[in-house]
Amino acid sequence: MITVSHLSKTYRNPDGSTLKVLKDINCEIQPGEVISLIGPSGTGKSTLLRCLNLLDPPTGGSIVFDGENILKKGYPVHKMRQKMGMVFQSFNLFDHMTVLENVIYAPCIIRKEEVEKAREEGMALLRKVGLAEKADVYPDSLSGGQKQRVAIARCLAMKPEVILFDEPTSALDPTMVGEVLSVIRQLAKEGMTMLIVTHEMKFARDVSTRIFFMYDGYIHEDGTPQQIFEAPRRSATKAFVQRIRKEVFEVHDRDFDFLAMESTIKSFCIKYNIAHKIKPALQLCKLMIRNVMRDHFPMTVRITHSELSEVTALDFMVEGLETSPIQAENPFLDEVRSLCQEIVEEPTSRGFRVKLLL
Amino acid sequence: MKRLTIGILSALALVACSGSQEHSLELNSEADISGLRVALSAGSCYDMELSARSDVTVNRFNTDADVLQALLNEKVDVAVTDEVVYNSRVQKENGIKIALIGSQSFPTGFMFNKADAELAQTLTDIQHRMIEDGSMQRLKDFWLTNQFAQVDSYTHIPDEGKGAPLRVATVTMTAPLSFPIEGEWYGLEIDILRQLGRELNRPLEIKFFDSASGLLSIKSGLCDVLCGCIFITPERELEYVFSEPYHNYHPGYFVIDREAARDSQGLAAGFINSIRKNLVTENRWKYITGGLWETLKISFLAILLGSLLGIVLYLMTISRRKRMRSFAKVYNSFLAGIPELVLLLIMFYVVFAKTGLPSDLVATITFALFFASGACDIYKTSLDAIPAGQTEAGLALGFTRAQTFYHIVLPQAIRRGLPLYKGQCVSLLKGTSIVGYIAIQDLTRAGDIIRSRTFDALIPLLIVTLIYFLLVWLIGFLLLFVTPKTKVL
Repeated sequence: MITVSHLSKTYRNPDGSTLKVLKDINCEIQPGEVISLIGPSGTGKSTLLRCLNLLDPPTGGSIVFDGENILKKGYPVHKMRQKMGMVFQSFNLFDHMTVLENVIYAPCIIRKEEVEKAREEGMALLRKVGLAEKADVYPDSLSGGQKQRVAIARCLAMKPEVILFDEPTSALDPTMVGEVLSVIRQLAKEGMTMLIVTHEMKFARDVSTRIFFMYDGYIHEDGTPQQIFEAPRRSATKAFVQRIRKEVFEVHDRDFDFLAMESTIKSFCIKYNIAHKIKPALQLCKLMIRNVMRDHFPMTVRITHSELSEVTALDFMVEGLETSPIQAENPFLDEVRSLCQEIVEEPTSRGFRVKLLL
Repeated sequence: MKRLTIGILSALALVACSGSQEHSLELNSEADISGLRVALSAGSCYDMELSARSDVTVNRFNTDADVLQALLNEKVDVAVTDEVVYNSRVQKENGIKIALIGSQSFPTGFMFNKADAELAQTLTDIQHRMIEDGSMQRLKDFWLTNQFAQVDSYTHIPDEGKGAPLRVATVTMTAPLSFPIEGEWYGLEIDILRQLGRELNRPLEIKFFDSASGLLSIKSGLCDVLCGCIFITPERELEYVFSEPYHNYHPGYFVIDREAARDSQGLAAGFINSIRKNLVTENRWKYITGGLWETLKISFLAILLGSLLGIVLYLMTISRRKRMRSFAKVYNSFLAGIPELVLLLIMFYVVFAKTGLPSDLVATITFALFFASGACDIYKTSLDAIPAGQTEAGLALGFTRAQTFYHIVLPQAIRRGLPLYKGQCVSLLKGTSIVGYIAIQDLTRAGDIIRSRTFDALIPLLIVTLIYFLLVWLIGFLLLFVTPKTKVL
């Protein structure tokens, strides 16, 4: 239904610099698929969606929709958009119209539908999203969740073949997220083709047939929810789905600013609710940098914490090293062992890493 | 409402009761005005003379009528103006009297542009002939004595000229030199000029200016001849040419006549009498209706033209071309920094001076230029206020760009902009009250004309105020119809 190849999007800043948001996007979307786009902020999820219906025109590549290249010059973009609906994070309801008018305005003006017929269909759609009783009020008086449901009904009124959801629940109170997700869930059940940018991982996992993990301007990993959430192939995907947080320090020599490191680690631990790990983490850092690995500068020290598995680890990475920097007879090793649960020594492509699990 | 009525009535009562003091001021020589407050017409010969004296407080006004009004309201002790202007009828009706006739005398004549020396000479020749055949004396006998005050209607030789109109500027609307009744002009100087018109086969086209603008209208070539008790002074002779003086006038020092028995009418009777005097006599209400028409015409056309120009200007501000954007920016900041009156005068006396464009058209263009700048700002503010999401939502539904603008953005922008637009219209309407400066008889000027004939400030100003108030209300009412409604249901 939609074939995207080598799609790229570059923004030009007012100061002349450029920002490449989408680098090389390739994907094929079949009818009936429900695809969730997940990934850290700023990796191009929303931009990809807005490029698909040309609200942000791509700077390169091609998009074929229903067999036609929609980037062709002179292509009637508005006709394509009638078949490709979009639901926005900020709802964007027309404030000067009632709820029902919002829903039936486009069919009446664009498709020249009879008002009576449009009104009946509009009411049916409002009933479907549970807002028939609000037909004659203005959007002002609705809650966020209700507004978003009206926006979905408005989108459905044009009978689109595919709907793009751009973070449909991000602007909502946590209490209202559920009502919007259940409407989208219902649409998925009815076989509507949808692309959803979302931060609701559980929802993405339940409702999608496919997940695009977006990272750094690419579709970094593409697979079923099981593949992405349970067996991610790539480390960035893994870090994202396990919600791994990290803090990195470059240690060049003995004169390293230890106080700064201390305070960063302290606030890291407090932020992720592992304050009880502050003391061992700081002691371990001191031991490792000052004693155990004192002959291996420069090194990279990293503290990571997975919010999903609640595992915290300290990494000490020495570049270009092939064997473990830790000698078995090191006098401080016992103290290190007593402070952590496990010491993992592993060679990597960049060098040798010593990982202490807290 | 009740409180308002009481307020107005007590204000009327105050006006009616004021000025009931002991004796009239007596003046025996010019030296006696020492220490007094004096009203006079700005830029007149009296101004130059009295400004040199450090012992008097001089208040300058734009027209003779305002000078007299200041005296009547006792803002000053003495009004100095042309002795001839306040004939016995005016004095009696208003309870003023002439306390002293100045010792100086000023030769008075008609003023022309230096390029029109020939025209001045023609008039001089005519004056000579009129003196010889005695008609000048007859005219002076009629107008400069109390004769004219005894009759109720005046005649003049008919205006039959077929040539290009002789454009006459006058700086006084007060009898007996040049004054209007029901749109026709009468008076001694007007009669002399009618002889000139007949000689040249040119009809007269008479317009009233305040003193400073009158001189300017001759200088810029907008008018051919200036009258209205124009004194011939050496300074003026450097810049203009004059016909031979036809008379010498003395300055008159006027004071309030406290001994004159005032008609002690009741408040209501006085009010009705005042209404009659200001509106009914000589069909003076026609000035009001005529002025209303001018004000409406200029305002409506300026709003229409300005709104359209505003669209062009707005499109320039959002243009991709830098030159367009800078032009719009310069235009807006230029118009924001110049007073409306100043631009109006520049347009009339400089830009369009030689084009012969009618003054109401010049006023319309000037106000349209101002309105365009304001309208542009309003368009910008109200369109910018509509979030980009509204456009995106429209586009995403499948509307074209034009449809999105027309169906989604515009109705919301109009709702936001309408109150601002209304304010702009109101300020334009009120702003047009300065068009009198370029000799347009608008509503405000209509009030001035009546005032200068009746020397009554209250009723004309009250009526003019009331009409402006109703017009402002009307604008709000009319704009209600523009408020867009969703058309689907």
